[in-house]
Amino acid sequence: MSMAEQRIATTKVAGTWARCFKSLSEVLLVTVLAFHIYADHFMDLDDKSPGDQLISFEDVSIRLDQLLYISVDYGMLSMVLLHGLNGLRTVMFDFDMFAKRKKMVDIGLWVLGIATLVWGIIILLPFIEG
Amino acid sequence: MMKASSFKWLFGRNSEFWPTNMKTGMWAWVGHRITGLFLVFYIFMHLAFITTASLSEDGGDFNALMKTTSSPLFIAMDFLLVVVVIYHAMNGFRVVLFDMGIGIKRQKLIFWVCMAIAAILIVAGLWAIWNFIFTSGGG
Repeated sequence: MSMAEQRIATTKVAGTWARCFKSLSEVLLVTVLAFHIYADHFMDLDDKSPGDQLISFEDVSIRLDQLLYISVDYGMLSMVLLHGLNGLRTVMFDFDMFAKRKKMVDIGLWVLGIATLVWGIIILLPFIEG
Repeated sequence: MMKASSFKWLFGRNSEFWPTNMKTGMWAWVGHRITGLFLVFYIFMHLAFITTASLSEDGGDFNALMKTTSSPLFIAMDFLLVVVVIYHAMNGFRVVLFDMGIGIKRQKLIFWVCMAIAAILIVAGLWAIWNFIFTSGGG
């Protein structure tokens, strides 16, 4: 099988919906990621004096008092996991050993994704409650 | 158990992945996958770092970690992350264009246009990191 045929076969295994989700999540991700980087690293830069710590627990905690930032962070985590694990799934299906075990791979990645999302939700709580 | 022969399509001299057999589109595709895997690994590392916030009640451990990450080694790694994210995003944008049926016949030209935009964004990223660290006093 040539590489081009292999790629077409991979897309067939991974599914059209997975491909659509990947494209949609990519466009959303770029937008939210740009906002996340700006908000976390550059927004309050003018208020800092030389020698101040640029990212501190207190700063993040103040920002996460607002629902907008909580939504952006949790929304981004969901999209990153959807996009990243979906991409990982596509890479895995390039290998016969995974392509033959599609259901097992799908279940494994869903469990990993949900567990990581829960982990991500929990680790932001100290900032939100702080 | 996997046989070594199962990976011939990936590593063999006749494989499309052998460097001298690869053309622009294949380099772009391989680069997209490598950067994608790197970013999946990074997200887990990022979450592990943030987990330190819950280790101490006043966020002291988190602040100490943030101070450590302002060292030149971590700044260099941040810059590497910017390069990887921008490459992956711009090549991904190119793939989305192809999914919509745009520019498939001019894929090589579109790759280089996307890489030119990526180069501009990377320089802007370097400038932003430089400004962030040095103009604002660092740490």
